[in-house]
Amino acid sequence: MRIQKHPVMKIIEKEDVEFIFNDTKIIGKKGDSLASALWANGMKTLRQTEKENNSRGIYCGIGNCYDCRVYLQGSGMVRACITPIKSGMEFYSEDRGDMSS
Amino acid sequence: MKFDVAIVGAGPAGLKAAIEIARAGGNVVMIDDHPHVGGKLNGQLHEEPNNGDWWIGVSIAEQLKQEALSLGITILTGTQVWSVEEGWKLFISNVDGRPLDNNMIESKALLLATGAIEKPLPLPGWTLPGVLTIGGAQVLTNQYQVKPGNRVIVVGVDILSLSIARAMKMAGADVVGIYIAPKNEFTSGISNPKELLSSFSSMTKFAPNLFMRLGGNVLKSAIGCSLAALFYPKNGMKVWDIPIHFRQSILAINGEQEVESVTLTKIDPTGNAIGESFLEKVDAVCISGGLSPQNELAAVAGCEFVRLNGLSGVVPLHDQYMQTTVEGLFVAGNITGIEGAKVASAQGVLAGSSINKYLSIGNVNEGNLERNAKQVEIVRETADITFHSEIGSARNKLQKLWEHRI
Amino acid sequence: MPKDENYLICRCEEISLKEIKNVKNNGLTTSQEIKMATRAGMGVCQGRICRSLIEQLVAETEEGSCKLPSKLTVHHPVRPVPLGMIVNKED
Repeated sequence: MRIQKHPVMKIIEKEDVEFIFNDTKIIGKKGDSLASALWANGMKTLRQTEKENNSRGIYCGIGNCYDCRVYLQGSGMVRACITPIKSGMEFYSEDRGDMSS
Repeated sequence: MKFDVAIVGAGPAGLKAAIEIARAGGNVVMIDDHPHVGGKLNGQLHEEPNNGDWWIGVSIAEQLKQEALSLGITILTGTQVWSVEEGWKLFISNVDGRPLDNNMIESKALLLATGAIEKPLPLPGWTLPGVLTIGGAQVLTNQYQVKPGNRVIVVGVDILSLSIARAMKMAGADVVGIYIAPKNEFTSGISNPKELLSSFSSMTKFAPNLFMRLGGNVLKSAIGCSLAALFYPKNGMKVWDIPIHFRQSILAINGEQEVESVTLTKIDPTGNAIGESFLEKVDAVCISGGLSPQNELAAVAGCEFVRLNGLSGVVPLHDQYMQTTVEGLFVAGNITGIEGAKVASAQGVLAGSSINKYLSIGNVNEGNLERNAKQVEIVRETADITFHSEIGSARNKLQKLWEHRI
Repeated sequence: MPKDENYLICRCEEISLKEIKNVKNNGLTTSQEIKMATRAGMGVCQGRICRSLIEQLVAETEEGSCKLPSKLTVHHPVRPVPLGMIVNKED
């Protein structure tokens, strides 16, 4: 889903950033949020809901709805839409219990 | 950390206010929960209807940021303000709720420029991955340069949805069409094609180009709108080669785990479904329910509010110089009513100068404030984008409510 | 209510339109009552998304001055932070 060419915007090839999502290695680009990096790889689903086990992904895209909440090792709960990816980050759909360190 | 002024929100209003205050010699901090400043500017990419130039928001944001930094303005990104106390104290944390080295900021004045939030437009299937708000689609497409889908539909016909549908098409998505919002208890005016066309015809600034595309003078009368809605081409009318379906709406979004298709229906001129529904295979749905001011911190700060439909929701009650009912608390931008980036910028300048006068920073007098307030009006009159046909009368009502405040 | 007319109102707590209409039919008439009875508006987004929907369902949308932006209370913290941080603020 990454835009290859555009009539008005400059599309600059950015360097790769490798990270983990649910134990899978994903390659995004520098400047991506977790949400855009996953979306560019065709992955829209970020988590399952607590009550009905339904899939959720980004909805508002600007950090208001918290539907894109996932867990970052070393941090805890983060919002995929406003979390910039960095090399080596490990994200999970579920809280694994010891995520803050 | 102590400052003269703390500004929450580093979008166009916050940036312009910060620059105005710093230029006069004030010590300013801007706080934003996003990784970059610029707010909605970063996703904006559209052709200006009046002159055909391209508005590239991210370039404007970058310029403003450089100017802010050169003036010594402190910028804290990835930082959220979770509470405020008069006096002023701002309680901050990192964007994910974790502590920072400094968990509190003190300032003599506070400006809230927190912008807008999208109003939800619920329908069956709206929580499936692949369903985005139109603002979310804008950010993904223009800011991150990732298209929302290969085959996309847009729900809701308005200034934003048209602009972002075009942006997605330019990004290489097949935008199947733009459809009227579904008729339910949350969509009164916008799910009725006749009322919708009528509201467009009173948004005179946006009128020229949209009118020409939608058939011009026919829309200028109520009869004209009924006729237009009645005879509107059943296959839609194309704008920028994207079909706008005034006589079709959506009933549901379908898919097991993610968006797979939508159930569409033809509708009569008042929005009621007619005939058999049909499926369209898509992989993304972008919903435009309108914008609403984001006013939570203002509520915590204790100021009074006003609900006015022309402002698109509930805003802090404020005077013509952006001061609220709480001493030292000011507002600017979409939090004061939805009007877009150009008006937000002019309000930022006004709020900045108003704060300067309040704190005796620089040499601001009543004449300066009057001029800046007049400039906001001028920008409002000449701006190409209007979000509500009643914005002018709403602003007048707001001023009257200020004068008679509780 | 037909299945195709039911959908979620509160995304966070997964509360549907049907559930809210049921409590309304049982006599609840204000947004605060609906929130308490169904948990709609009490999820992690703090009602940011569904507040306007609940208000529309109970017609709390009149124009004019108001002391507060909503009958659904907005209080600090306006974003989720650990309890310890809130407690420390009170010192």
